[in-house]
Amino acid sequence: MEAINWHSCFFLLFAILSCGFAVAVAVSDNIVRMAVYLIASLAAVSGLFFLAGADFVGAMQLMIYVGGTLVLLAFGVMLTARGPLVKIATGGGQWVLGAMLGGGLLVILLQAAFSVEAWQRPEVTPEVAQGEDLATAAPLGMGMMGIRVDQLDETDTVKRGGMSGYLLPFEIVSVHLLVALIGAAYLARARRPAHLVQSGDGGKGDRRPEGGDR
Amino acid sequence: MTEFLTHYIEPDWIAHFLVAAVHCGLILGLVVMAAAAFTWAERKVAGRIQDRLGPTRVGGRFGWLQSPADGLKLLAKEDLVPAEADGPLFRLAPYVSFCTSFAVFVALPLSNDWVAQRLDASVFFLLAVAGLEVFGVILGGYASGSKWSLFGAMREAAQVVSYEVPLGLCVVIPVMVAGTMNLVTIGNMQSGWFVNWMIFHDPFMFITFWVYCACAMASVNRAPFDLAEAESELVAGFLTEYSGFRWSIFFMAEYASMLAVCLLASILFLGGWNGPVPITSWLGLTHDVHPVAGFVGDLLGFANILAKGVLGVIVMMWARWTLPRLRIDQVLTMCLKYCIPLAAAMFLGAMGWTYVIRGGLSDMDEPTPVVQSGQSVSLANHQEGGR
Amino acid sequence: MANERSQAELIEQDIQTDELLINMGPQHPSTHGVLRLVLRTDGEVIVDAVPHIGYLHRSGEKVGESVSARQFAPYTDRLDYLASMNMNLGWALAVEKLLGLEATERAGCLRVIMCELNRIASHLVAAGTYGLDLGSFTPFTYTFREREKIQNLFEAVCGARLTYSYIVPGGVTADLPDGWLDQCEAFLEEFTPVIDELHAVLTSNDIFIRRTARVGVLSREMAIDYGCTGPVLRGSGVDWDLRRDGQSPYIELYKDYTFDVIAPIDGHYRNEAAYPAVPFDAVVGDSWHRFFIRMIEVVQSMAIIRQAMDRYRKTEPDVGKPIKTTEKLPAGEVYLETEAPKGQMGFMVIGDGTKTPWRVRLRSSCFSNLSVAPELCRGHLMADVPAIVGSLDLVLGEIDR
Repeated sequence: MEAINWHSCFFLLFAILSCGFAVAVAVSDNIVRMAVYLIASLAAVSGLFFLAGADFVGAMQLMIYVGGTLVLLAFGVMLTARGPLVKIATGGGQWVLGAMLGGGLLVILLQAAFSVEAWQRPEVTPEVAQGEDLATAAPLGMGMMGIRVDQLDETDTVKRGGMSGYLLPFEIVSVHLLVALIGAAYLARARRPAHLVQSGDGGKGDRRPEGGDR
Repeated sequence: MTEFLTHYIEPDWIAHFLVAAVHCGLILGLVVMAAAAFTWAERKVAGRIQDRLGPTRVGGRFGWLQSPADGLKLLAKEDLVPAEADGPLFRLAPYVSFCTSFAVFVALPLSNDWVAQRLDASVFFLLAVAGLEVFGVILGGYASGSKWSLFGAMREAAQVVSYEVPLGLCVVIPVMVAGTMNLVTIGNMQSGWFVNWMIFHDPFMFITFWVYCACAMASVNRAPFDLAEAESELVAGFLTEYSGFRWSIFFMAEYASMLAVCLLASILFLGGWNGPVPITSWLGLTHDVHPVAGFVGDLLGFANILAKGVLGVIVMMWARWTLPRLRIDQVLTMCLKYCIPLAAAMFLGAMGWTYVIRGGLSDMDEPTPVVQSGQSVSLANHQEGGR
Repeated sequence: MANERSQAELIEQDIQTDELLINMGPQHPSTHGVLRLVLRTDGEVIVDAVPHIGYLHRSGEKVGESVSARQFAPYTDRLDYLASMNMNLGWALAVEKLLGLEATERAGCLRVIMCELNRIASHLVAAGTYGLDLGSFTPFTYTFREREKIQNLFEAVCGARLTYSYIVPGGVTADLPDGWLDQCEAFLEEFTPVIDELHAVLTSNDIFIRRTARVGVLSREMAIDYGCTGPVLRGSGVDWDLRRDGQSPYIELYKDYTFDVIAPIDGHYRNEAAYPAVPFDAVVGDSWHRFFIRMIEVVQSMAIIRQAMDRYRKTEPDVGKPIKTTEKLPAGEVYLETEAPKGQMGFMVIGDGTKTPWRVRLRSSCFSNLSVAPELCRGHLMADVPAIVGSLDLVLGEIDR
C-alpha cells in the first residue's frame, strides 16, 4: 500500500479552505458574512503555518489578524451594519475591475513564484537538512533589537556605530501609526448640537464617561 | 505515544490518527467533565454563600447528578432560532466558542510532558486561541437579531480586546524570567519547594499574579466583569435568544475557558504540576528511577495542577456571588488605567530584577531554560522582546 | 433663526450614528414588575427614556366607588403589595376620618407595629432587588430570608403572608396571638446583625459605591418640583417625613414615639456616627443616598417597633371593631396622606350618604417618583438605568392601581 502523504493532504485542505473562503468574501453580499468568511480564511492560513511547523507565526497570525484585527472589524460592522449597509451588492463594473486587478496580481505572483529556480525542484542538500542556512526571522528580530547579525564581522568601530539595527525606523513607523490613530479618533469624534448635549447632561454638569474614573 | 504506536501499527497514518483521537477524546472528556463538575460546584458554592444548600436531591446525596440532569433537560428543550436571526451564523456561533476553548487545551500541559501537542511557543498559542473565543460571542450576539444580544456582543468585543493586552503583558513576565515560551519547560523549572514557584520569584512577579487574576477574570467574562451577559441590564446579553443545547455549548465553553486560564495561571505562577513540597522526588517517583514510578509521579502532578486550577475556578465563583457588577466604562477604565500600566511597570521591574539579581528570592536553581530546540525558542524570545 | 441654522450645521458635521430604540420591559429582569421603559440610546448612552405604565391597571379607583369602604380594604392590599399594611392603614385612616371614628389605643399600637414591620420588609425587598439590579445576587437571598421572618409574624397575626387586610376602618381584624411579642422581639434581635452584613455586602462595597455614587443625582429642587416623596425626597436632602410632619389623624399614631427622620441635612445625617460612613464620592441626591436612607430607616423602624410593643403591653385589650360592610359614609370629603415605605400614599374618599363612596382617588408615591426617571437616566449609560430605576424603589401595583 502506497503511503499517503498526509502532509500534502492537510496542506491542500487548508489551502482550499483558505482560498474558498477568500472567494466567498468576494462573492458574498452580506457584510457580516463577509467578515465571518474572512475569519475562516485567515484561520486556515494560520493552519498552513502550523502545518509548516511555524508555530509562532501561526499563533501570531491568529492573534493579530483573527483575534485582533477581525474582532475590531466585526465590532465596526456591528456598529454600522444596519439597513442599507448590511447588503453590499457588487456591480458589474466592479467585477470587471476587480477581476482585472486580481488577475494581474495573480499573474505577477505566479510568474514570480515560478521564476525562483529553487522552488521548482526542491533539493535537499546537507546544509538544509542540518538546518544551517535556513532563512528565519531571527536576524530580523535581532535587527529590531539593534544587533545586526548579518554584519557581525564588521570591525570598523565607526561603521559599527551606525549599525543601530531597525529600531529607529520601527519606532518612526509606529509613532506615525499612533498619530494616524489619534487623528482618526479625533476626526471620527461625534459633534453634537449644543442643545442635545445640554439635555444629555440632565443639568447636572457631570458627564457620565468621566464619572467612571473615580 | 506516537513513536510507540508507529512501532506496532503498520500504516503510520492509522497510528497518527489513533493518537490524535485519543488526545481529542481525553481533552474533550476533561472539558465536558469540568463543565459538569463546575456547574454543580457553582450551585453548591453559590448556595453556601447565600446561606442555603444548593442542589441536594438528584443522585441521592449532594445533588451530584444535578449536572447530567440539567444536560438532559437542555437537550430535550425546543431548538429555537428567532425569526429575525441570521440562521447559519446563529447556529454556528456556539461551536466557534466551544472549539476555541477546546483548542486551548491542545497546547496546555496537564503534567510533566502530558500535553496533546508540544509547541515551543505554547504560551503564545494559548493566548492567541483563547482570544478567539470572543468570536463565538460576537457572532451569536449579532446573529440573534436582538438588540440586547447586539449590546452584549459589542460589550464583549470592547472588553476582550482591551483585556487581551494586560493579560498578554502579565503572561510575558514569567515567560521572560523563564526564558522560554514552552509551558512544559516553565513548569519543570519550578520544581522543588513552593518557594521555587514563579509567584515567589520576585516581588514584581507576586504583583503580576494578581493583575493576571483580574485580567483573566475579565477576559473569560466572569462576574464582576460579566458585562456581555449582564442579566440585570441586558436581559441575558448575547445569550438572550439562545436556549437548549446551543446555550449549553456556550456554557461549556465558558467553564472550559475558566479552567484554561486557571491552569495557565498555575503553570505560569503557581508551580504547575509541582506540589508545594517535593514529595515526588522524595518518593523517587521520577522517570529516572522507573517509567512506572515516573507515571505515578506525573499522575500526582496532574492531580496537583488540577487542584490548583479548580481552586482558581472556585475563587472566580466566590467573586461572582459576592460582588456587584462593574459598569462598562469602569471595566475599561480599570483595564486601561490600572491593569496595563501596572503590568507594564511589573514588566520593567521584573526585567530589572532578572538583570541585577538573576535568581529568585529563594535562590532557586539557576533559571536557565532547558533549550530543546534552540532556534525557535530564541527566535520566540527575540520577537517577544521586540513587540 | 440664526441659532437654528447653526444647530443644523452642527448636526450635519456629526457622524451619522443610529440611535437605537430599545424596549426595556415589560418583561425585563430589572424593571421590577411590568414597567416598560422605551430607551433611545446612542451606543450605550441614554438619550431619552420614556416610561410606559398601565400593564397592571386594575381600575382600583373605580372599584373603590363600587364597593363599600370595608370591602375596599382588600383591594388596598394590592396597591403596593410589598407594603400592604401601610396601604391598609392609609385607607382605614381616611375612612375613619370621614366617619369621625377613632381607633382604640391598642389598635393604634398594633397599626404602628405592623406598619413599621412592613416598612422593614419593603425596604428589605428594595435593598435586595437593588443588589440584583447591580448584578449582586447574594444580598437578595439575605434580605428575603429576613423578610420571610416578618411574613411569618404577619401570618401568625392575620393568616396571610402578602395581602393582609389586617388594618381596616374601625381598628384591626384581630389581636395578637399568644407569644407573638416575644417572637417579634426575637426577630428584631436576630435582624440587628444582618443589617451590618448588608452594609458590608452593599452599602460600603467599593463596586457598589462606584455603581451608585453620583448616579442619577436628583437635586432638591427637582425632587420637590416633581412631587417626589419618601426616601427619594429625603435622599435629596429634604427633611420631610409625614410620620413627623403629617396630618391628623395619621400624626396622632406616631405622636409619642421617638425616632429620627433620616435625611442628609447639609450632607450630614443625624447621629451619623452610628452608621457606615458616607463615601467620599457620594453626593446628596444620588442613588447611593436613596439606598442608604432605606437601610437606616430600617433601624429607626426597629426602634419604633420596640417602643410600640412596650406601649402595647400597657393598653386595654380592645382592638376596635371593623366597620360593617354596609356602613353608610356621610356626605363629605377626606384626603389623607400617610408615609408609606415608598413615599406618601394619599387616599381621597368622598361620601354621599350611601354605603359606597362617591369618589375614591389614590395618590401613588411611586407614580411621582417614576416621573423623574427620564430626567435622571438621560446622559447616563445603559447599566445605570437599573441602578437609577431600582433606587427609586417602584412597585407597579401602586403606579397602575
